Amino acid sequence: MRTTGGQLFMLVVINAALLAVGAMISGGTYLSPFNLQSMAGQLPEIGFLAIGVMLAMCAGNGGIDLSGIALANLSGVASAIIVGSFLSSTDNETAFSIAFIAVALLTGLIGGTFNGLLISRLNITPILCTLGTQMLFTGIAVVLSDGRAVAVGSPELLSQIGNGLFLGVPISFLIFVSAAGLIAALLKFTPFGLWLMLMGTNPKAATFAGFPKARVLIATYATSGLLAGLAGVIIAARNVNVKWDYGTSYLLIAILIAVMAGVRPEGGYGRVICVVMATIALQLMSSLLNFGGLSNFVRDFAWGALLLTFLAVGRYNLVGLLTPNKSRKLV
Amino acid sequence: MGALSKKMLLGSAMALAVVAGSAGALMAQDKPVIATVVKISGIPWFDRMETGVTQFQKDNPDVVATQYGPATADAAQQLQIVNDLVAKGVNGLAVVPMDPSVLEGTLKRAMDRGVIVVTHEADNQKNTHADVEAFDNADYGRALNERLAECMGGKGKWTTFVGSVGSRTHMQWVGAGEENAKKHPDMVLVDKNNESFDDANGTYEKAKEILRKHPDIKGFQTSAGNDVLGVGRAIDEAGLSGKVCLVGTGLPNPSADLLESGAITAIGFWDPQKAGMAMNSVAKSLIAGKKIEDGADLGVPGYEKVKVVKGPGEGVLIIGNGMVIADKANYKEYLF
Repeated sequence: MRTTGGQLFMLVVINAALLAVGAMISGGTYLSPFNLQSMAGQLPEIGFLAIGVMLAMCAGNGGIDLSGIALANLSGVASAIIVGSFLSSTDNETAFSIAFIAVALLTGLIGGTFNGLLISRLNITPILCTLGTQMLFTGIAVVLSDGRAVAVGSPELLSQIGNGLFLGVPISFLIFVSAAGLIAALLKFTPFGLWLMLMGTNPKAATFAGFPKARVLIATYATSGLLAGLAGVIIAARNVNVKWDYGTSYLLIAILIAVMAGVRPEGGYGRVICVVMATIALQLMSSLLNFGGLSNFVRDFAWGALLLTFLAVGRYNLVGLLTPNKSRKLV
Repeated sequence: MGALSKKMLLGSAMALAVVAGSAGALMAQDKPVIATVVKISGIPWFDRMETGVTQFQKDNPDVVATQYGPATADAAQQLQIVNDLVAKGVNGLAVVPMDPSVLEGTLKRAMDRGVIVVTHEADNQKNTHADVEAFDNADYGRALNERLAECMGGKGKWTTFVGSVGSRTHMQWVGAGEENAKKHPDMVLVDKNNESFDDANGTYEKAKEILRKHPDIKGFQTSAGNDVLGVGRAIDEAGLSGKVCLVGTGLPNPSADLLESGAITAIGFWDPQKAGMAMNSVAKSLIAGKKIEDGADLGVPGYEKVKVVKGPGEGVLIIGNGMVIADKANYKEYLF
């Protein structure tokens, strides 16, 4: 496995630079607590999806999860309809919230497991499988909701998750960071993490070494689905209503974040902390451009430029060239 | 994490703290800032709206008015822009929601922060101080139909097209049209409410079918933006330009050829430029603490005597008379 402290280093530098530039052009407003909270509140929904993509990529063999946002929307829509049919969000606020979260997470888990089963048991290429399930999930959400937005309302607990602060930090951001920490620990300290990375590095060797390949794959995609469910909960909590076509642009952004974070598209390597930092970098940049009043097309351009820079850094070890005492050879 | 990146992490954290400390004071903003957020940037409709926002800025140097919009048609992207603008500290938001229901949470947070929210094309928006609509839907449907009846000489078979029967505004337009046609007992409505799904090609096929089924048809009233193009092409190809009347919602630029050839009798629309100015004007008044009363003059053509009714939420619904029915003679005044 290669070491990519360089990637993390780059991401930290970029984040710091973005914050500094933001402070300069906005005369400080950019660093006001309210904007930092606003940005931290915006990024979890896409962050969860990016971690899901990272997990799928790590599994190797062309692993990717394109169904993330579709599954997140399905979780929200299905949960709002199912729970809404026997509980009212205004009468039983806590019960509604808990049931909503549970059903949404369960939907995500089932959807993800379904992906995993198709990929591991039927040997369908992940990109085709998740493209198919993406349409399937979207389709189910459309049929369930009749194509209309479904009202979730703002019961106390959900509204706290969407808008609340804990010690000045948005609760949704705290949930995101804790979930990311859990996944990081899962990858670092459990056999599952080791199996996943080794399997991604060399699938053939993994087969001969007798890894439980199918189970690892199912667990990987199930986790990705669970994260999509979590994204669905956050989306519902923040927006009061859920709709099947929310966040269609997230699909590519999630992949962009994973690649920016140095996750190897061929599998076998990826760090959660880098994905979190890359998510933050993208959020900082997009808010910065909105602060500067620049066109959103500039944002797409800037993201593309950033992505290419990162690919170049990963390929040519630019950080190593700049810091001689750290010029370890990257594989 | 290597020792170096740890050092860097610490270093940048410290640098950050310094920057944050030095830039603590908020920049004092003396003029109220009004941000217009549209569904998507770079399409003719909202480019035209931007000319209105620019014009408003020119006429009102005591405010700062600019337009923003996402690069992709996605409610999530529009929502992020609104979030960032609220964080930036704008005083007023003039939003054309991609999806009113999805924006409720965000607009509520904005209103809780004391931002004045004005919306457009969202008469079902709950979390807004005022929603500005260009015209009353029934008036518009009636006006389209009256123009059609005038062309048809008040007699003959006619039919209607809607985007889909689920589209509330389209159904209101053709409904009002049907009501209006009752004034002309010789007008016979046949095969009403054809669904076009705003697809010019599909509409073209359907219009050809109708022309075959009713060779003596005299009029079409259409609703979705591309319907006039599809039906117009069918009329044009059948050599019926000028003999069959076609009145419907459409935009001047794309319709120009068919208006010239006479296949389209007249198009109806509202001018996004004026709507943009009207939204900003309402936002400015509300920021100044004024109320918009029934019959008020927003100082924008078509919004000189607005109707004000209670909206679905706390806010009001402001209805102008900004409809434009343009034909061959005057469409060139509105090229967009």
